[in-house]
Amino acid sequence: MTQFLQQLINGLSIGSVYALMAVGYSLVYSIMNFSNFAHGGVIMFGAYFGFFYLTLFRLPFTVALLGAAISTSILAIIIERTAYKPLRNRKAPFLYFIICAMGMSIFLENIIIALPFIGPTFRTYPEIFSKTPIKIGSLAIGRLDLLMFIISSICLGLLVYFIDFTKIGKAIQATSYNIKASALMGINTDFIIITVFALGGFFAGIAGVLFGMKYTVYPQIGVITNKSFIAAVFGGLGSLPGAVIGSILLGIIETFTSGYVSSQYRDLIAFVLLIAILVIRPRGLMGKLNEDKA
Amino acid sequence: MLIINNLHVYYGGIHALKGVSLTVNKGEILTIIGSNGAGKSTLLNSISGFLKYKGEIIYKDQKLNFSPNKIVKMGICHVPEGRLVFANLTVEDNLLLGAYLRKNKKEIKEDLEKIYTLFPRLKERKKQLSGTLSGGEQQMLAMGRGLMSNPDIMLLDEPSLGLAPLLVETVFNIITDIRNMGKTILLVEQNAFKALSIADRAYVLEQGNIIMEGQSKDIANNPKVKEAYLGVKK
Repeated sequence: MTQFLQQLINGLSIGSVYALMAVGYSLVYSIMNFSNFAHGGVIMFGAYFGFFYLTLFRLPFTVALLGAAISTSILAIIIERTAYKPLRNRKAPFLYFIICAMGMSIFLENIIIALPFIGPTFRTYPEIFSKTPIKIGSLAIGRLDLLMFIISSICLGLLVYFIDFTKIGKAIQATSYNIKASALMGINTDFIIITVFALGGFFAGIAGVLFGMKYTVYPQIGVITNKSFIAAVFGGLGSLPGAVIGSILLGIIETFTSGYVSSQYRDLIAFVLLIAILVIRPRGLMGKLNEDKA
Repeated sequence: MLIINNLHVYYGGIHALKGVSLTVNKGEILTIIGSNGAGKSTLLNSISGFLKYKGEIIYKDQKLNFSPNKIVKMGICHVPEGRLVFANLTVEDNLLLGAYLRKNKKEIKEDLEKIYTLFPRLKERKKQLSGTLSGGEQQMLAMGRGLMSNPDIMLLDEPSLGLAPLLVETVFNIITDIRNMGKTILLVEQNAFKALSIADRAYVLEQGNIIMEGQSKDIANNPKVKEAYLGVKK
């Protein structure tokens, strides 16, 4: 029982960080109908931004975290402007967007490797939070795990509020349903696209820092973030609640596999899950259905 | 109020509008009738800024050459073919999005009440997701949503498409009501009979050309129109 609860807590913690990453995939997909594979690169940049803000500039943790989030937010906007906007202006097919995103992802990874002061070395975040876990009865909760869960939950809560209760949030929902109709409402769809990239980038930065603290920072960290893409597909691409639920489930499945089977099977199970979902329910747990009547 | 001069639109190699010129006067219902593929929707999409065109579109003495969201700001509202209501949002959210560019909350609220008076069905269903509405209700929502931008001119694209005869009647009555509220209406329709019965003036569009224009009554009595669009045999 203790082990079960322990694994559940670990699963929730890592799942909530996956959720932060997955909402970025889902937000972009919901508006632009393509999977933005450059998102992993943005998350990786977030890990580096956070690392250097903490070590080089010796900023306090909260400032470094926010700084990383703002930096990746700007990075995501730059990617949109330079890579995707030209394609949109030419009304390119969606496949081109995906290929462009993959190219961008490789570019981001390699620019880090190429930069002389960063390079391919693995880096470890300084120890900000004590490694001694908090004991509750026989349960040991890592301080970092708890922090990951709390920060992710706050971010996701803010996102839900923003999407459901603000005017821009409603405009994002409208644009995700039909981009032409939303332009007819006077919504500046170009601005909505920028907003969506900025939001995704912001959460990517936070997720990158948390991920970097939990593990290590290296240029290929974006590959691991593919799992959050799996979570987004699992939950239903384009659906925010789907992305969150899919991520939490993936996190729990992963930790349970590591805990009860073997950590070597962890990723195997994650990918088998993706394939199974795609076979059984191609639109994911909560993917959108077309409800157009006319 | 709206003047279109020598408008040409191309889709790749297809010449969809071949020099269309027309004028919409303030306060009138102007209808453009024509069969499928005549270029009716193309014309409306050009006005609302979705298409590149040659020629000029002048609205209130100003040349229109903006992105769609800025054109809405100028008081032009386009209710698209197929309604395109936001099925993932409630009826009320749809209506409020219609007022996206407006700032005055009090006026928006007043207008919302006006829309509910005009379309009581929408009031009954305001908390419902609009995807669950019937086709006729969706058409009313699309028109109500358009009105929420407080436009001077409304471009209506096939409002009666796919509706039951009784609802077609209702929709056309509402269009007359909207005109009586002081709005100008540019109505594009395949249902030529109904459109001509409520419109003041009419143009006939055929394969990208205006082939006829005049008072609705005269157009409706024209033998050629009668045969081609009203299904009356000689």
